[in-house]
Amino acid sequence: MSTVKFLVVDDFSTMRRIVKNLLQELGYNDITEADDGNTALPLLKAGAFDVLITDWNMPGMPGIDLLKAVRADAKLAKLPVLMLTAEAKREQIVEAVQAGASGYVIKPFTATTLKEKLDKMLAARAAA
Amino acid sequence: MAPLLPEPERYRAQVAALQCALDAGDAAAFRRAFDALSEQMDVGLLPELKRLTATAQSALARFSAEARLDALAGHEVPDARKRLTHVVKLTDEAAHRTMDLVDGCVPLVDEAARGSALLLEAWDAYGDRGLAIASLWPERAAMFLERTRADSEALRANLSELLMAQGYQDITGQIIRSVIALVDELEKVLGKLVRIAEGNEVTTMVRSLPAQPGWERGLGPQVAGLESADAVSGQDDIDALLSQMAAGK
Repeated sequence: MSTVKFLVVDDFSTMRRIVKNLLQELGYNDITEADDGNTALPLLKAGAFDVLITDWNMPGMPGIDLLKAVRADAKLAKLPVLMLTAEAKREQIVEAVQAGASGYVIKPFTATTLKEKLDKMLAARAAA
Repeated sequence: MAPLLPEPERYRAQVAALQCALDAGDAAAFRRAFDALSEQMDVGLLPELKRLTATAQSALARFSAEARLDALAGHEVPDARKRLTHVVKLTDEAAHRTMDLVDGCVPLVDEAARGSALLLEAWDAYGDRGLAIASLWPERAAMFLERTRADSEALRANLSELLMAQGYQDITGQIIRSVIALVDELEKVLGKLVRIAEGNEVTTMVRSLPAQPGWERGLGPQVAGLESADAVSGQDDIDALLSQMAAGK
């Protein structure tokens, strides 16, 4: 389980640290960070990541565009992507799901919620 | 530049040349005379046209700047006040949550220190370690270890909660950034109005004001009192929406 490779994308370093810490508590230690879509995409294309956790509202490339770019890339099309964001409009959530988000967690969130969604995503990935 | 003649007089020479070319049936000469006339007319019109354009542009610039200022003053500044009030509330809650958790940790650590001090003291009081082992000491030590284990779990849970409580920085940071963007725009619009009033912006083209950003770039967190009608109320709401969508597929 500890071999799952995560990329955590958020423009706030505090949030990246929180997510990283929670992932480590859950036993995941292979975690890379990026601060927006533009820095994340080359990392994703270069490295064999297993899960992408991304914020939506970021300067540069926002999370929704990163998600679309990931789904448009043949190599990354099946990557589980969890949106972890304060964006709360129904229209946005629908858009994210239609763009291929595997999960959507609203900030502020609890450790339990994050674990639950991650477990679900990883189980779906293992079953695929 | 010589003063302009009254309007019909100004064109006498070109009209005569036109008439002449027409009478002679000289198409090339007619064309030349016609071009000269039209050029002469343009020269006469140009300053007037420039003046009118400048006035219109200035009026448009002023209008768009004033309309934007109106929107800023009418809605966005009061909204910004609510946003900042919300930031104060979130930082206040996070600070209290953090201090409550620290308060919860202190007795746990104190108890561990007190318990181990007592055990050590009792251990040292027995000159002979064999006597200590035959006494009540092992029972007390076991109780202490049991308690410390439970307290450590509580401590660990508090530390996780402390970590989560720092999430306020991201939320308030996003809200503050949106207010910074507003202040920035307010400064630009006011500056523009001042320049128009001073007559320094008369000939500049009207810069189309940026459209309000759509949600594609992200809107930031919901703010108490400013919630979007279309916003979810929390994670349960999202989960319901997601399963609805999955069922509809």
